[in-house]
Amino acid sequence: MFYKCERHKNRRYAGFLSAVLSVLFAVQSPVRAIPSAAECIPKNAVISVEIARPKALLEFFTGEKVTKALTALPAYKNLTSTPKFSELQGIIGFVEATLQADWRTGIAKLTGGGVTFAVCPDDIVVLIVDAEDEQMLGRIHEFFLDIARGNGYGGEVESGKDVTAWTFDGKSAHTIIGKRFVFASSLDGLKAVLELRDKSGSENLTSKPGYQSARRSAGADAAAIVFADMTLLKYVPEISSLLQKSTGNPLAALAFAGIIEAVQNSSRLGFGLHTAEDKLILDASVDGNVGGAGSSAAFALPKKSDQGVMPNLSVPRRLAAMSLYRDLHEFYAAKDELFPERTSGLIFFENMMGIFFSGRDLTNEVLAETGPEIRLVAAEQQYDASIGRPAVELPAFAAVFRLRNPESFKAVAEEAWQKAIGLVNFTRGQQAMPGLIIDRPTQGETKFTVAYFSSADAENKAQLAQRFNFRPSIAMPGDYLVLSSTDGLARDLVDALNRETKSPPASLAGTHSEVEIDSSQLASILEANRMTLVRGDMVKKGKTQAESEAGIDMLIALTKLTKGLKVSIGTDGRLTNARIELGLNLQ
Amino acid sequence: MGAKDASREEAAHIAALEDLQDPGWAWSEYKPSVSAPWDLARVGHLYRRAGFGANWAQLQEALSQGPGPTIDKLLQPQGDLQAFEREYAVYEGSAMSVNDLRAWWVRRMIQTPHPLLEKMTLFWHGHFAINGENVKNTGAMLQYVRALRGEALGSFRSMLNSVCRDPAVLLGVGSGASRKSMPNDNFAGAMLESFTVGPAVCSQTDVSEAARAFTGWFVLRGKVRYIEREHDGGVKRILGQSGNFTGEDVVRIVLEQDAAARAIVTKLYKYFISEGQEPDAKLIAPLAESFAGDYNILKVVETMLRSNIFFSQAAYRGRIKCPVDFALGIVNAFEGMVSTTHLAEDIAALGQDLYHPPTIRGWPGGRGWISSATMAGRSNLAWSLLGGSKPYGERLDPWAVAQKHGASSLESAAEFLVGLLLGDDAADGDCETLIKTVQAAGGAKPQEQLRRFAYRITSLAEYNLC
Amino acid sequence: MDYTRREFLRGAAGVSIAGSYVTGAALASKAESGGSRSDKSGNILVVVQLSGGNDGLNTVVPYGDDEYARNRPTLRLPQDQLHKIDSYIGFHPRMESFMRLYKAGHLSIVQGVGSPNPDQSHENAMRMRHTADTEDLYRQRGWLGRAVDNEYPAGRVDAPAVFVGPIARPFALNAGSVIVPSIRSSGDMVAVQIPGQTGAASEKRTAGGDESLPDFVRQCRAKAYANSKRIEAALAGASGSADYPAAKLAGDLRTAAQLIRAEVGIRIFFVEIGGGGIGGFDNHANQKGNHCSLVGQLSESIAAFVGDLRRDKLLDRVLLMTFTEFGRTVKENGRRGTGHGIAGPAFLVGGAVSGGLCGRHPSLTDLQNGSLKMGIDFRRVYATVLDGWLGIESQAVLDKRYEPLDFLDT
Repeated sequence: MFYKCERHKNRRYAGFLSAVLSVLFAVQSPVRAIPSAAECIPKNAVISVEIARPKALLEFFTGEKVTKALTALPAYKNLTSTPKFSELQGIIGFVEATLQADWRTGIAKLTGGGVTFAVCPDDIVVLIVDAEDEQMLGRIHEFFLDIARGNGYGGEVESGKDVTAWTFDGKSAHTIIGKRFVFASSLDGLKAVLELRDKSGSENLTSKPGYQSARRSAGADAAAIVFADMTLLKYVPEISSLLQKSTGNPLAALAFAGIIEAVQNSSRLGFGLHTAEDKLILDASVDGNVGGAGSSAAFALPKKSDQGVMPNLSVPRRLAAMSLYRDLHEFYAAKDELFPERTSGLIFFENMMGIFFSGRDLTNEVLAETGPEIRLVAAEQQYDASIGRPAVELPAFAAVFRLRNPESFKAVAEEAWQKAIGLVNFTRGQQAMPGLIIDRPTQGETKFTVAYFSSADAENKAQLAQRFNFRPSIAMPGDYLVLSSTDGLARDLVDALNRETKSPPASLAGTHSEVEIDSSQLASILEANRMTLVRGDMVKKGKTQAESEAGIDMLIALTKLTKGLKVSIGTDGRLTNARIELGLNLQ
Repeated sequence: MGAKDASREEAAHIAALEDLQDPGWAWSEYKPSVSAPWDLARVGHLYRRAGFGANWAQLQEALSQGPGPTIDKLLQPQGDLQAFEREYAVYEGSAMSVNDLRAWWVRRMIQTPHPLLEKMTLFWHGHFAINGENVKNTGAMLQYVRALRGEALGSFRSMLNSVCRDPAVLLGVGSGASRKSMPNDNFAGAMLESFTVGPAVCSQTDVSEAARAFTGWFVLRGKVRYIEREHDGGVKRILGQSGNFTGEDVVRIVLEQDAAARAIVTKLYKYFISEGQEPDAKLIAPLAESFAGDYNILKVVETMLRSNIFFSQAAYRGRIKCPVDFALGIVNAFEGMVSTTHLAEDIAALGQDLYHPPTIRGWPGGRGWISSATMAGRSNLAWSLLGGSKPYGERLDPWAVAQKHGASSLESAAEFLVGLLLGDDAADGDCETLIKTVQAAGGAKPQEQLRRFAYRITSLAEYNLC
Repeated sequence: MDYTRREFLRGAAGVSIAGSYVTGAALASKAESGGSRSDKSGNILVVVQLSGGNDGLNTVVPYGDDEYARNRPTLRLPQDQLHKIDSYIGFHPRMESFMRLYKAGHLSIVQGVGSPNPDQSHENAMRMRHTADTEDLYRQRGWLGRAVDNEYPAGRVDAPAVFVGPIARPFALNAGSVIVPSIRSSGDMVAVQIPGQTGAASEKRTAGGDESLPDFVRQCRAKAYANSKRIEAALAGASGSADYPAAKLAGDLRTAAQLIRAEVGIRIFFVEIGGGGIGGFDNHANQKGNHCSLVGQLSESIAAFVGDLRRDKLLDRVLLMTFTEFGRTVKENGRRGTGHGIAGPAFLVGGAVSGGLCGRHPSLTDLQNGSLKMGIDFRRVYATVLDGWLGIESQAVLDKRYEPLDFLDT
C-alpha cells in the first residue's frame, strides 16, 4: 500500500462506520428523512459520479492560482478575442443578474449540497443536484425553462401528487423537490428515480456491495467518487476488445501485468478524487482477484509483503521513469500461456537471443540471471556540437536490471551486446549502409561500452538523420546492468546507481509499478520537436498548419501547467489500488 | 449534357463518332456550339481529366469564362506556385517513411494550385512505376517523385535522362550494380520495353546491348555513382545503330525511334481522352510526329485538352475513375481537408497504393479498377468521408456547402449536388428522378439526409466514370 | 522484367500487355463460364503459407530411419507419440487431426518438395515461391497474380482472388491487370447500407450482352450489394455452428469458409501462418516448443476448416495447399534449433484429393548443404493445381510445362 498504513486504516474504518450507520439508519427509521442522492439512483446504474464536496473542487478550480494559470494560456487569450467568447460573457452576465450573485457564488450555492450523475442501461442518464439555496434554484430553473419555451420545446410534461415534471427539449424530464433538482434523459428515467425516493428501503445503487466497497476505498474525505460496474461494462464491445487486445501483445502483457488481470476479474471500479495544495490525487481501486494459483500475473506480484519496486532513478533532464517489479524468468517460463501464437517477432527474438547468448537457455540461463527490480528511464538528450544534431530529436531511453550473479554474468552480457552490434553492422554493411564504431570509455570507476555512427561525412550537421539519436551503450556498475540508447544517459545512470549503492533506498512495499513523468522536460522535448509534431498532426487530422500549431501549442502549454504525474499501482491480492497524483505548476 | 435535348445530342454523338476518323477535326480547337455547348457537364469533364475534380466556385468561374481561358489557367495557373512548392518541400522533407510521403502527396493533390501538374506527376509515376518496397529509402522515393514532377509538363528527353541517374529507379528495377563483367539488363529492359519503344520494337539483343552501355552505374549508399573502370567501352549495336555507346547514347537512340513518341502519345491519349479502345494510328500520327520533334510534354497535353475530341462523346465518361479520382472528387467538391494519412491508406486498399505501383507497368487502370469487391470498398470509403463519423469526422459537410452556394431547401440542395458531382447528367439524363430520392430516408435532419444523398450519388456508375 | 519482353513474346497475356481492354462480350463471357473448362470453373483453391521455412522432418517424421534420431539429439520426437502413417514416417504428436484427415482420404502429402535453385535467404526463397521463378528475382508478378491476369483479362465482376490476414499481401497475388483485395474479415467485403438506400432503383440497365462502361460499373455495384447480403446471411447462419480453435490461422480460414459459403465468386483464397516477415517457422533456437505449437495450430485449424466445409457439402469444391519457402537442416544446431534447408513436405487437403503419399521421402544421408535434396520441384505442385484443379493453363503461368503429380482424384 502506498498510503501510510495508519491513515489508511482510519479512513477505511471511518468509511465502514458511516456505511454501517447509514444502512442501519435506512432500515430502522420509519419516518425517513430525504434519501441521499445516491439512494435515488437505480440499482442497475453502470457508472455513477458523485461530487460530494463540490465546493472543494470549485475552490480548487476557480481559485486564484488555477484561474491565473488558465487565463495565462495562449489558447485562452485567443478565445477571449472571439465573438463567441463575448457572447458567453453576455450570457454569464445575464445569469448572474438572474441569480443576483456572481457566478462562482451562484455555482457554489446551486451545487453545494452535492452533484450526482449516473449512467443506467438503455441510454438513461440521471443527474441529481442538491442546492443550498432553494430560491436561487427556482430562479435559474425558470430562466432556462423560459429559453426552452422560446425554442418551442420546454414546458410541463406531467404533474403528480406533489411533484411537477418539466422538460427542456421535449425528450428529457426533470423536477425540483425542495432544494433538489432531478434530471433524467427520459420521463421513464425520472419516474424510476422518484419511485426510489418514495419507497424508502427499496433496492438502489447504495445497496450494491460493489458500490459500497468502492465508496469505502475512495475514502470518506474524497471530493468526488466514481463507481463503475465492471460486470456490466465488460459487455461493452470496445472495452472487451481492449482488454483482449492488450493480452495478445508480449510487451503489453509485461508492462500491464497484474492490471489487466485485475480489471478483467473485477466486479467494480472505484475512484476517489482528492484535492490538495497544487495537487490532484486520484485513488482508484478494482476488486479483481490477482495472483491466485495459476495466475498469469504472478510474476509481477512481490512474493513477500515487504517487497516491491525500487524508487525511480533520478537523472538530469529526466522525462519519465518507470519502476517495475517483474520476474522475467517467471514471465518467460509461462510464455506458452501468455502467447499461444508464435509470432514472427517472438521467434526472431528467440533466434537472436540464441545467437547472442551462444545457445544458453533464454529462460533458465539468461533471464534467471536478472532480479525482479526493473527500472526504465527516458531523458532528453544533449548533443555534442562536434557531432551534430538530428533533424528530429528523440529522447534517450534506458533499462536498468539488477544482476543476481554479477561476477559471472557481466562477461556474458558484454559478449552478447557486442555480438548484437556486430550483427547490426554486418547487416547494415550488406545493405551498403554505414555501421557503428565501438568504443570503451569510462565514467568514474566504471568502464562501459558505446557504439556510435560517425558524422564525419554528413552533409548537414544541423539536420542529421534519425540514426544519430542512437549511441547504444552497455554499462555494468555494481550489481546493475544498464542498457541505454545513448552514452550520455548511460553515464548519468552509472552516477545515479553509484549514489544509490552508497545509500541504498528501501523498496516500496506492495507496489508493483510506479511511473513518473516530469512535465517541464516533457514540454521541453515537445518544443524541440514542435514542427515535426505539427506536420504529423496536419496529415493525420487534415488540419491547416495554423490549426495544428494551435493544437500542439495548447498541448505544450497544458504540459507546462503541470509539474508532473506519478502513478503507483499495487495489489494486496484482493484489491488492486492505483494512486495517480497530478502536480500542478501554479505560481 | 443537356438532358432535355436528347435527340439533338444523339445526332451530335453520331456526328462526333464519324469525325473521329478525321484527325484534322479531332485535334482542332473545341469551340462551343449548339450541339456541343460549354455546359456544366463539359466543365466537370475538363476538371476531372486535367485535375481531381472541382468545387462549385471553380465550375461557375469556368462556365462564365469559357473553355479558352479556363484551359489557359489549368496549363499555367496564376498565383504563387513557388511559395506552394517551398511550403511543400518542407512538409515532404519532414516525412519519415514512404507512407508519410504518400499522405503528403494526397494532401498536395487536394491543395495544389496546379492540379494538372499533379495529375501528370501521377501519370509519370504510373509510367516509370517504381515500388518503394524495392527501394527501401524514403529520401530516394521523395527525390524520384520530385524529379518526375519537375519535368511532368516539361521535356520527356530530360525526364528520361534524369531517370537513368535516379537511385530509386535503379534500385526499384533491380539495377543497383551493373558491372562490365556482369551487365545488369533490368534497367535496360525497363528503358526499352516499358519506358519507351515497347517490346514489339526492340529485341532481347537490343536489351542486352543497351545493358552494356549502362555498365559502370551503381547505387551506393543511396546515391548514384559512375565507376569508369566498370564501364564496358566496347562497340554495341542497339536498334540498328553501332558505336561505343554510353547510357546517354541509349536515350538518344531510343528517342530517335518513332515508336517512342507514338507509345507516349498513345498512353497520354488513353489518360486524357479514352482508355476504351486502342486509338486509330491515323489519330495518333500528327501528335506523335510533333512530339518526336521536341518531346515537349506540355504541348501535347495542351493540344489534347483544347481539342474537339476531348470534349466529344468519345471522351466523355470514357474512363473509369482511379481510386485517387474517386476519393479526391468528393473531397474537392465539398471544399474540405481530411486526414490524408487515412485517405492514402483507404485509396491503397482500393488498389492504388501511391509510391507502390504493383509492377513496372504501373496500375492496371480501366475495368481492372472495378469488381464487386472494390465497389463495396468504394461505397464504404465514400460513406466514411461523407457520413460524418470516424475516421474522417465531420470535415466534409454537403449541407453546409449547398447552403453556402445558395441552396435553401432539401430539394434545392439535392439539385445543387447533382450539378456539382454529376454536371446535371445522370442515368440517361434522369436527374429529376434522382433528386426526388433525397427524401427517401425521411425523418432525419437535412444535414443527415444530404449526407446520404451525396453518398448515393457517389455510388452511381456516372460518378465512378471520369 | 518478365512483365514486358518474355510475356509479350509468349503472347499468353497478349491482351492485357497491349493494354487494351476488349469490351466485347465474348471475352467476358468466356472468363465467366470458364469456356471449355467449365467443369472446373467453380473450383476453389485455398493456399496456406507457412512463413519462416517449416522443418519438414519434425512435421512428417521419418522415425524409421536411425539417422533422424542421430541428427536430432534434443529435437527428436518420441517415436511412441507419433501418429504413424507407415513403418517409416509419422505425423508430429500434435498433428492428430491431420492423421484423421489422412485416414479419411482428405489429405495427400507430397514429399521432398523443393527448389532446383535453393536460396538461403528468407526473402529470396520466398520471392521464388511467390513468383514461381527461381532465376529472376525481379519478376514483376506472382504466380497467382499471373494466373488471374491470364484467366480474367477483360475484367471480372467479382474479385477472382483475395488475401485474408493482417500482414501485407504476399507477392504471389501481385497481379498486373486485376486488383486482388486484402481483407481482415468477411465484413471488409460488405458494402455499407444506408437507410433509404434503394439499390439501383434510379438507374436504367441495359439488357443483353453489350456491356458498356457504365453497365459494367452498375453490374459490379449490384453484385457488391448482392454479395453483401449473402455474406451477412452466411455470417448469421454460421454463427457458432463451426468450431474453430483460437489461432489466427483458424480465424482466417473461417473467413474463407464464410465467403465460400456466401458464393461471392472468389476462386483463390490465400492465408498465412507464422506472421510474415522472418516467420514463426524460422526456429533457429528453442525449436521444439515453438514448432509444436505451430504445427498444432496448422493441423487443428485446417481440420476445423474441413469440418466446416463438409457440413455444408462444400468440401468437394475446395482444395487447400500448403507451402513454405524452404525446409531445414537435418542436423540440429547447438541452440536446439535448425538452419535453413531445402526440401520438405507440402500438404494438399480437400474432398477431391486422392489421399496418401506422393513422391518418395528424400534420403537422410544423401544431403545437399546438410539438407534434404529436392525430390519434386515446387512448380509441379503449382502446375497440377492450376491445370488439374483451377482449370487455368499452367504453361502460360509458369513459362513451361511441368509434369503433373497424382494427388488429385481423377
